[in-house]
Amino acid sequence: MNLSLVDPFVLAQEYPDTLTEKLSSGHATCLSFNHKGDYLASGRVDGTVVIFDIETNGVARKLQGHTRQIQSLSWSRDGRYLLTSSQDWKCILWDLKDGSRVRTVRFEAPVYIAELHPFNHLLFVASLFEDQPVLVDISSPKPVKRILPSAPLRASGEDLDPAAAAKQAAQDAKHSTCVTIFTAFGNHIIAGTSKGWINIIETQTCTTIHSMRLCNGVVILLHLASNGRDLLVNSSDRVIRTVLMPDLSQLGINLEPSAIKLQVEHKFQDVVNRLSWNHVTFSSTGEFVTATTFMNPDIYVWERSHGSLVKILEGPREELGVVEWHPSRPMVVACGLETGCIYTWSIVSPQKWSALAPDFGEVEENVEYMEAEDEFDVHPAEQVHQRRLDQEDEEPDAVTLELVKGDGDADGVEPFSLPVLLNVEDSDSGEDVVAVGPGTMRRRTPGAAKEGVNGDEKPAANGTSRGAARRRR
Amino acid sequence: MDHLTPQPRRRDPRAKSPSESSSDELAAVSAHEEAERRRASWTKGITPQRPKKSGRLYSGSESPDELAVDADEYWRSSRTRNRHRNQSPINRTDSHDDHSQGGAEGHPEDDTVDTDEEQAHDAHNWSDRSATPVAPTLPPKPDHLNYKEKFVMRGHLRGVSAVQFSPDCSMIASAGADAAVKVWDTATGRLIHTFEGHLAGISTLVWAPNGEWIATGSDDKTIRFWNVNTLKAHTKVFDGHHNYVYQIAFTPKGNILVSGSYDEAVFMWDVRRAQVMRSLPAHSDPVAGIDVVHDGTLIVSCALDGLIRIWDTHSGQCLRTLVMEDNPPATCVKFSPNGKYVLAWTLDGCIRMWSYVESRVVKTFQGHVNQKYSLSGCFGTYGPRDVNYQPPLCFAVSGSEDGSILFWDIVSKQVLQRLDAHSDPVLCVHTGTLNGKRLVVSCGLDKTVRLWEEASEDDAVSNGEANEEGLGEGASTPTPKSHSQDNTPALDADGDDAMTDAMPSAAATPAEDVTMT
Repeated sequence: MNLSLVDPFVLAQEYPDTLTEKLSSGHATCLSFNHKGDYLASGRVDGTVVIFDIETNGVARKLQGHTRQIQSLSWSRDGRYLLTSSQDWKCILWDLKDGSRVRTVRFEAPVYIAELHPFNHLLFVASLFEDQPVLVDISSPKPVKRILPSAPLRASGEDLDPAAAAKQAAQDAKHSTCVTIFTAFGNHIIAGTSKGWINIIETQTCTTIHSMRLCNGVVILLHLASNGRDLLVNSSDRVIRTVLMPDLSQLGINLEPSAIKLQVEHKFQDVVNRLSWNHVTFSSTGEFVTATTFMNPDIYVWERSHGSLVKILEGPREELGVVEWHPSRPMVVACGLETGCIYTWSIVSPQKWSALAPDFGEVEENVEYMEAEDEFDVHPAEQVHQRRLDQEDEEPDAVTLELVKGDGDADGVEPFSLPVLLNVEDSDSGEDVVAVGPGTMRRRTPGAAKEGVNGDEKPAANGTSRGAARRRR
Repeated sequence: MDHLTPQPRRRDPRAKSPSESSSDELAAVSAHEEAERRRASWTKGITPQRPKKSGRLYSGSESPDELAVDADEYWRSSRTRNRHRNQSPINRTDSHDDHSQGGAEGHPEDDTVDTDEEQAHDAHNWSDRSATPVAPTLPPKPDHLNYKEKFVMRGHLRGVSAVQFSPDCSMIASAGADAAVKVWDTATGRLIHTFEGHLAGISTLVWAPNGEWIATGSDDKTIRFWNVNTLKAHTKVFDGHHNYVYQIAFTPKGNILVSGSYDEAVFMWDVRRAQVMRSLPAHSDPVAGIDVVHDGTLIVSCALDGLIRIWDTHSGQCLRTLVMEDNPPATCVKFSPNGKYVLAWTLDGCIRMWSYVESRVVKTFQGHVNQKYSLSGCFGTYGPRDVNYQPPLCFAVSGSEDGSILFWDIVSKQVLQRLDAHSDPVLCVHTGTLNGKRLVVSCGLDKTVRLWEEASEDDAVSNGEANEEGLGEGASTPTPKSHSQDNTPALDADGDDAMTDAMPSAAATPAEDVTMT
């Protein structure tokens, strides 16, 4: 309802410019907004998942179940379920209505990234550390795992000579999938491999229908824009690529699998410093690409129409890890690698003082005031009052709601509202981990025994995470 | 300087805006549309649109962009005045003469023609703005309402200042100068529970949107939460105001509570932490009224200095200030169910419905007595449910200091019903629907809470003036015996004489709670 009153120039601003908030609850390592954009889930190194209310910047819920660092978070479309994956080899699906665990799925390896199907919260894909990626159906209490292929699809049909075929097979065996995501409708899975290939896998059959070599390095991250057609790829060759995807929902109708073509639109890289990118994301509309850099506290924002750098967000003095863009507002959140704090950049609009005094107006330059002839005429108060009353002759409609386009309910999702827990802070036990230096943490509460345990455990967890990240590069 | 112009300020669609601003606007729009088109070409049905973008209305006709309004309208209004002066000075003087001399001029025809033209021009302007199409043939609108008394709920020891239906209307919560919060069963009128804990009279009460909690604001400067399911008080007390809490309201999600206080501050509380998350500092008199729009993006507050301010919930900035020329103290504000209008009670005996986007009064409701107390009321719907009137039939309801409850049609401003409800001022009225029955609950200084039910159409036809009958029925209603009527002299709703001189109490009944059919 506020759109008609807000300064249009503020609304027209499409990317944030100032550091506005710092959220802190433990050491956060990954972040994810729900689709509506009112809650932000953060996963911590100690395995706790904290859900922040963006409106109050307070903790809305805490989920405890993992024992190691959280690797990824994925919201269901209605915002009721949250899938978390962790280095403790588990994925947990949470019901946020009461904070209970719907399903817990164990794997044989640490999980890189797990993502929920966009429409079915009982189906997800997970890419595992040095293991094959799996599609997991958790509609029954016993999860059904189907292994997804990692090897790229080779042009078949013509006969290769046996030597070449053997070589190819050996090469294919070296592929391991690092990241898997669903397409917008969930009919296909996009997978990125350690050899820089992108595979498109049909969800129904778990077969690869298209493969393409994108780069030489490891594909670290895939991210699909909200329109479902633009793919963002971060790879270890220090180049961020945006890829235009064909409309896969047209497969079998207007599009043959053989006709699929992935076209690289832009390559974003730092030519001078050869920076590598920690994490990349699209803006809410996909018009901007945002990345955090290795060993550098800045966030880069490129616009996509020309591929030019438009903004470098500055603020904290630490290297930033995961960066996420709010699904509807020009707002960017990122978490610091050292402190685990969550930083928020958004737009600060100045107070228009004319809004405070209705009989004043803001003019850009001096205007000569023309006094009206009747300006200082005195009319009897009753007459003025009566005339005013007589003019109230319209037919106001105080009831009918005007549906704003794109208000979220368009795709028929039953809106879920997270219950407001008045005692969420009482159950808090994780606020006491504080960073004392790079990569080291201790508990805030004095206690020798605890401190000893922690001193051993926390840097170890952090070390493994760094190690894992490096190996993926 | 403005108070002489009899017309409210308007945007004249024909007036030109300064070229630089309009060109800017055009440029912005075309760029935006370009982007939109580009996106649309990629997009297939499912794609979530960016709400902010698509909801951005400034390119549309209805809501002007604010920059243009602020600067342009200011000068446009003077231009309009100039136009009046240039074109029709005679007309203007004529109409003055018309009033004073009874139209003894030589050219009465000219006179009428001119005024007609002006009215037509006005009407054209109006219809431009209000996008309500002319209704096709529908059954005539009912010209009266027929609410009858269902229960009288006695139990409060002193005046009752606030009453509200629970979100599902199964319960009624009331609170008053005796510092007690009472929860009543709507279906039977029986007392369910009494919460005690406030140290002074309670001015305001509001249900949390999930129906689990009741929040109350009191003269002991605190806001307390009461759990209806466990019948226990919340352990955290919302402490921070420096003076009486006057009115409170929840955002629709229930995560933020907004409070207005006698200390002239508006606080936004993080409900989970029970801490102030933001203070809105702009009133220079006690803040008497608070409400939050149905989607939670706007907050309206009003103060005894007569200013009504609209705030952006997200940024905490003031977006609009509404004020009448002679600054009658504003004691209560409510958003309309669709959030397009603000209903404001002022101590000049008027309830005004503002279109806050245009900063002008759309309707003024009169007929009640309001000079001393913070009365509070509500929107509601009426008329047959199977007919789709355009616009839907809607009434505004308020108590009055003469003990009656008045219902106004918001289009015609006619009083649809006047209930002789209480024997003392009626401080708070709230509407609701239970099992398909439209209900109204009221409370007043006579220590009672009364529930009113809309009688069926047949009854309405047979007896239009059903007030006496209604009271007769009410005499047989069950009264809880847990609290005897005691002899405490009724001071005022708040329970302290200090406030009698000013406006003693206010009550919160967010308009978005109204169950609309």
